[in-house]
Amino acid sequence: MSQLTVTPVVVITLAATFLLLALDRSGELGRRQPPYAPPAKPAATAPAAVDSEKGKPPPHNDTIEDLPDGKGREITFYTCTACHGVALIKAQGLTRDLWDSTIDLMLEKHRMPPVKAAERAEILDYLSEQFPPRRRGRGADNPFLK
Amino acid sequence: MKSSGTNATSRRSVLMGVGIATIAAALPPAGEALAQGAPAAKGPKLLEMDGKAKLAVLGDKPLVAETQAELMDDDVTPTDKLFVRNNGQVPELTSDPKAWKIKVDGEVNTPLEITLGDLASRFPNVTYQLMLECGGNGRSFFTPEARGNQWTNGGAGCPQWTGVRLADVLKAAGLKSSAVYTGHYGTDPTLAGETNKPTISRGMPIAKAMEEHTLIAFKINGKDLPLIHGAPVRLVVPGWAGSLSTKWLSRISVRDKEHDGPGMGGFSYRTPRKPIVPGSKGDDKDMAILESMPVRSVITFPADGTKLAAGTRKLDLRGQAWAGDWDIKTVDVSIDYGVTWKSAKVNPPANKFAWQRFTAAIDLPSAGYYEVWAKATDSKGMTQPFAAANWNPQGYGANPLNRIRVLVES
Repeated sequence: MSQLTVTPVVVITLAATFLLLALDRSGELGRRQPPYAPPAKPAATAPAAVDSEKGKPPPHNDTIEDLPDGKGREITFYTCTACHGVALIKAQGLTRDLWDSTIDLMLEKHRMPPVKAAERAEILDYLSEQFPPRRRGRGADNPFLK
Repeated sequence: MKSSGTNATSRRSVLMGVGIATIAAALPPAGEALAQGAPAAKGPKLLEMDGKAKLAVLGDKPLVAETQAELMDDDVTPTDKLFVRNNGQVPELTSDPKAWKIKVDGEVNTPLEITLGDLASRFPNVTYQLMLECGGNGRSFFTPEARGNQWTNGGAGCPQWTGVRLADVLKAAGLKSSAVYTGHYGTDPTLAGETNKPTISRGMPIAKAMEEHTLIAFKINGKDLPLIHGAPVRLVVPGWAGSLSTKWLSRISVRDKEHDGPGMGGFSYRTPRKPIVPGSKGDDKDMAILESMPVRSVITFPADGTKLAAGTRKLDLRGQAWAGDWDIKTVDVSIDYGVTWKSAKVNPPANKFAWQRFTAAIDLPSAGYYEVWAKATDSKGMTQPFAAANWNPQGYGANPLNRIRVLVES
């Protein structure tokens, strides 16, 4: 007899769950990102003066602690963050050779101020130790790669 | 959720197809076997900016943000969901857009200096839905890593652009017979803050400049360009590396040789014509300028890492595919690592250089873990490789087939 009383409850609960989920279109399937929400409209209190920051990306400043500790962190931080955020550095994983050619690229193409040889070596030591190639697979142990 | 009528309808039918989906946490990283995606456990930092959706931030300075695959599901990319790529700083918004001046000089009979107001009234205005894609899109799929922003597939979008044809403006200036290439300039200061030198200045062969879909654009999706997307005026060079689509456009110089501005030499926007050992320095003499972007497909629904309710045996998946100068001929999908393939339905593009929607109804034979793969082939017969091919130090041209992971709960 108890089954008879439980079953409708289960059915109703399941039906309600189905209905709620069906209505919740933003939760139709799981996602790692929060659901998309259109950005809020800016408040209608625009000042007459031109705001020189209007429409620009939010200001961004890293601190030296945003890079992992290690010998050469300071010179690397101040050399690179004159132009770049540290996120770009941290997202990469390069051999010393490729970090070296990255500095060439900055010097030759992007008018980076010259660095002394000793400083360059210290930066390269830091970058190649902290941010070496990390992706594994066929490409990572190439027999032709010195 | 914001969606168009047709989207809402198709979403509802998908919902009926899959039964009930549950809210899912991210699946654990799939490890080295999965070349694609490989998200950090905590996920990307999300963009917080007026007028922009919560895109995945690749870099804060300069601001670079990509559109997550599941945000590429609209037929026409809404402006707030369009990816952001800057090479330098963002200049100040002009208070008088109509007075903004654009110069056309170099190998022309009549150099022009024309205001945006005059440009828009003097030449026919046209509107097309055009792909804008970062030259480095897909870079994160290279093994080992290549230099630069680690894009997945989200450095791409297909909004509707309004402007004048660059061809009409160049014809008005009168191309000399010596004209072979363009060089583009914008007003963005360099990252170091200099305003007297170009941050980047790329160019294209005259034939691409004269192509009818290459625009000097001043509207996106019917509205004035937002500052971050180049207000008040920019180039849109569809199907080729986005760096040609100069934002904050101030000058087009017609050249009698290949352009040589910043971004034209070395390994920048170039792919190897002689394959180089992945991870090595390579030789820049073996590189050729990247022109048309390669064929690519992105599954936009469901999202990677979706859990499907127990009993789900059908999945209606959707995606977008595009191929630079070419059309998409076919898209094939697989749920068994490419052992068997099924053809997706591919819609025609809204116009040349617009992406194409593909859809496929997939049968899932049982509960369990699936990788769903999509592989597009273009009208030239080029298809997506299984792994990012033709490695190069700055990471251009990575277009491996697209993979998402889903779990059908037991």
